[in-house]
Amino acid sequence: MRSRSDDGTNLAHTAEATTTRPTTPVGDVPREAGRSDAWGSMAFEDRMATVDFRVAEKAHIEVDSEVCRSCTTRSCVGACPAALFVPTADGGILFNYEECFECGTCYMICNNEGAITWSYPEGGHGVVYKKS
Amino acid sequence: MTAGGARLGAARLGVAMKWVDLRPEIDSLTGAVHTDARFSGASGADQAALELALQLGGTWGADVVVVSVGPAGSETMLREALAAGATQALRVDGDTAMASQDVARALAETFKGLGVDLVLCGDWSLDRGSGSVPAFLAGAMGFAQALGLVSIAPDGRSPCGLSAQRRLDGGRRERLRIQAPAILSVESGAARLRRAALTRVIEARKATVEVRPAPTPVGAPHLAPTRVGPYRPRARTLPPPSLTLSPRERVLALTGALVERTPPQTLVLEAPEAAERILDQLRTWGYLT
Amino acid sequence: MTERFDAVVVGAGPAGSAAALVLAQGGASVCLLERGPFPGSKNMYGGVIYGRILDGLIPQWWDEAPVQRWVTRRCTTMLTAGQALTIDYRTSAWGSPPYNGATAFRPDFDAWLAGKAEAAGAVLVCSTTATGLLRNEAGAIVGVRTDRPDGDIEARTVIACDGVNSFLAKEAGLYHHAEADHFTLGVKEVLALPRRDIEERFGLRGLEGADFEIVGCTGDVPGGGFIYTNLDSIAVGLVLSLPGLAASKRRPEDILAEMKTHPAIAPLVEGAELKEYSAHLIPEGGYDMMPELGQDNLLIAGDAAAMCLAAGIWLEGVNFAIGSGAAAGEAVVEALTRGGVVAQPLEGYRRRLENSFVLADHKKLRRAPGLVLSDRVQSRYPQLACNLAERMFTVDNPSPKKGMVALGRQEIKRSGVRLRDLARDAWTGLRTFG
Ligand SMILES: Cc1cc2nc3c(=O)[nH]c(=O)nc-3n(C[C@H](O)[C@H](O)[C@H](O)COP(=O)(O)OP(=O)(O)OC[C@H]3O[C@@H](n4cnc5c(N)ncnc54)[C@H](O)[C@@H]3O)c2cc1C
Repeated sequence: MRSRSDDGTNLAHTAEATTTRPTTPVGDVPREAGRSDAWGSMAFEDRMATVDFRVAEKAHIEVDSEVCRSCTTRSCVGACPAALFVPTADGGILFNYEECFECGTCYMICNNEGAITWSYPEGGHGVVYKKS
Repeated sequence: MTAGGARLGAARLGVAMKWVDLRPEIDSLTGAVHTDARFSGASGADQAALELALQLGGTWGADVVVVSVGPAGSETMLREALAAGATQALRVDGDTAMASQDVARALAETFKGLGVDLVLCGDWSLDRGSGSVPAFLAGAMGFAQALGLVSIAPDGRSPCGLSAQRRLDGGRRERLRIQAPAILSVESGAARLRRAALTRVIEARKATVEVRPAPTPVGAPHLAPTRVGPYRPRARTLPPPSLTLSPRERVLALTGALVERTPPQTLVLEAPEAAERILDQLRTWGYLT
Repeated sequence: MTERFDAVVVGAGPAGSAAALVLAQGGASVCLLERGPFPGSKNMYGGVIYGRILDGLIPQWWDEAPVQRWVTRRCTTMLTAGQALTIDYRTSAWGSPPYNGATAFRPDFDAWLAGKAEAAGAVLVCSTTATGLLRNEAGAIVGVRTDRPDGDIEARTVIACDGVNSFLAKEAGLYHHAEADHFTLGVKEVLALPRRDIEERFGLRGLEGADFEIVGCTGDVPGGGFIYTNLDSIAVGLVLSLPGLAASKRRPEDILAEMKTHPAIAPLVEGAELKEYSAHLIPEGGYDMMPELGQDNLLIAGDAAAMCLAAGIWLEGVNFAIGSGAAAGEAVVEALTRGGVVAQPLEGYRRRLENSFVLADHKKLRRAPGLVLSDRVQSRYPQLACNLAERMFTVDNPSPKKGMVALGRQEIKRSGVRLRDLARDAWTGLRTFG
């Protein structure tokens, strides 16, 4: 059941599984096409829905899209574990702050000084873990 | 409090708050609900009620008394209310499953004893959610009620008059003029609770929260739920389909119309057979090996 | 403005709570500041706490600490695409007091430890973020600023235990190496599994727990993986080098999903339901990349001072955080009790750390990060070891068995590892880990 089909994708399997369990990744974030296991291939939104985020009124992330336009690596897009950074058609970066793990990967990995300004959300807000 | 008196506004504002788990875990097999004190607190609606009371209290120079009927854990929430600016906090000992009518009676007694003539609270609690406490409370206190408000402000005409707005069906709004004494319940979007000053947070840690014993329930309630329907999970929100698709393709993506799927079947079987069928199906889908 | 405290401790993680506990026990007035709604709510880690450091602080801590399981089985696994080689160590000695390691949830453990500090007299203030250092006109540090109205806290000393991103340490200019190369990203899934399944799959009974450290499961991104058992859930996660992750253009959760399909891992995690996903950074630079330990009235401890020991087969930070936090607390108590004039606590803090495991272990393992994240340790050695095991255990009669030395030579040659590198790594490894 969980074996890969010849082309290395599991499309046949996902199609069958959709009746109970949506497995197709959604959204604009680049994701690998081939997944080999029903347990691993959970929709990203379902993964994020397991976490309690108490959203603050003010964003704690700021992105200077002007700087991003000249960036060729765009490491934040792929590396942010919450997939908060989305490239826009005009070369900028669109960001979300609501479902942020507050890890710091984005500003650490960014090699363009000043592109990402990152601090902590207002006390009491943001991610709240229960079983970490 | 009557209009035309020397004093402006209500003498004392009361706020009723309930301590609830804001993110309870529900066992999908048994339906058992697990709660966690660390994830408990006042709902958005109760917080909005507190904020509006603090604003009115500020305008009128009136005290704001916060009362909760609940277990000892509720005191964390009451301390937060004190830190945010409430003048006094009181807990009536009780559990979260108490009948709405008993809760309302306990609140009414407490508020009456304190001389409160305007009470604000959330429109309904997150855990039981029938929204009946505010109505019962109005009944028990003999006050007017204005429920499910989205905004409250002094009307600026009479000394203790308020103007408020309420949502009606079909997107209409109703504008109300309210005179204390009254019970007002508010939606969670009505206001955002202010951030407490640090000094007050530190003081509130040690502040006394007066505790009153649980009232004894009297007789059969006039109203009791006879049946509670099954828990219904919330609808899944779907992310918008890619903008590069045509409108038709987007509608199809949202409805899943073109996704290959096995049509649902209804089978009427004896329990053992039914169990076998379920296991077979799970095996076919690969959930069991 | 609040009353003036002897010390304000920023962050109620293990470092901060240990510091506040020692300070309060020493009679100092202390404010323990936490930005989460409760201590531990922002904190994520792999899953094992090595608790012996608590012996001196909380006698019989094991009777009351919120523990999931006591680790009695420790496995180090090397994976290649289709192979696995595990060194599996079990001892019943770790299953009784004083124990060795315990799995625990940080929202439970950190809240418990902060509760100890509070019970000793510390003023715990949650939901409050320190936004910067408070300085007087002369520029001396006199407390911290917070994001609450009227939010300045005045204190004689500031202990920054604000974790891996420590904005306070950075503001004070204590960091000279805060580049991405010295940090790894940890992502983790907590997966619910019935207790019985956990006991069967991991060979455990009662409160026994297992701990798997895994190399070779992160594709071309340097890093490693882990599996820890809780009571009725397991923690499965990865640690990924930041530059490596960026270069790979892969998503962390995809690499994790891939590890979970490995034939050696899949049977352990199959059918388990995701309860919570989480992510956090780890300071992995080791001794040579540590920031300065403080400045004037400011001390830094725990991850804020990059004191986490993440060196391949070791992933320890909570114990180092508690050790350094307690040392900072002691140093401040000592400085306060030295008569009317407040002495600088920095000297005493450094002395304590140097005389304890905190800096001793880090000094000893200073070469580990480079070695562990090298391509050879990440992929060539696991391949070599797995192939060697495969050749040893494959019975290909009628050919006679080959001698071990011959096999070893052939496999080293096949792996493309140069003997010179092997010898040098072995030597570094011996000096580091030996
Ligand atoms: C994936 C992963 C796996 C790990 N596995 C293990 C393991 O198995 N065993 C082990 O021992 N260690 C492990 N560690 C390391 C361990 O988690 C850390 O070393 C340890 O948590 C450090 O403790 P700390 O108190 O210094 O920092 P933290 O635990 O990070 O605590 C810092 C605290 O400060 C608060 N804070 C931060 N900034 C502010 C501010 N400005 N104002 C107010 N509060 C603030 C935070 O909310 C937090 O509570 C792991 C780490 C990771 C990421």
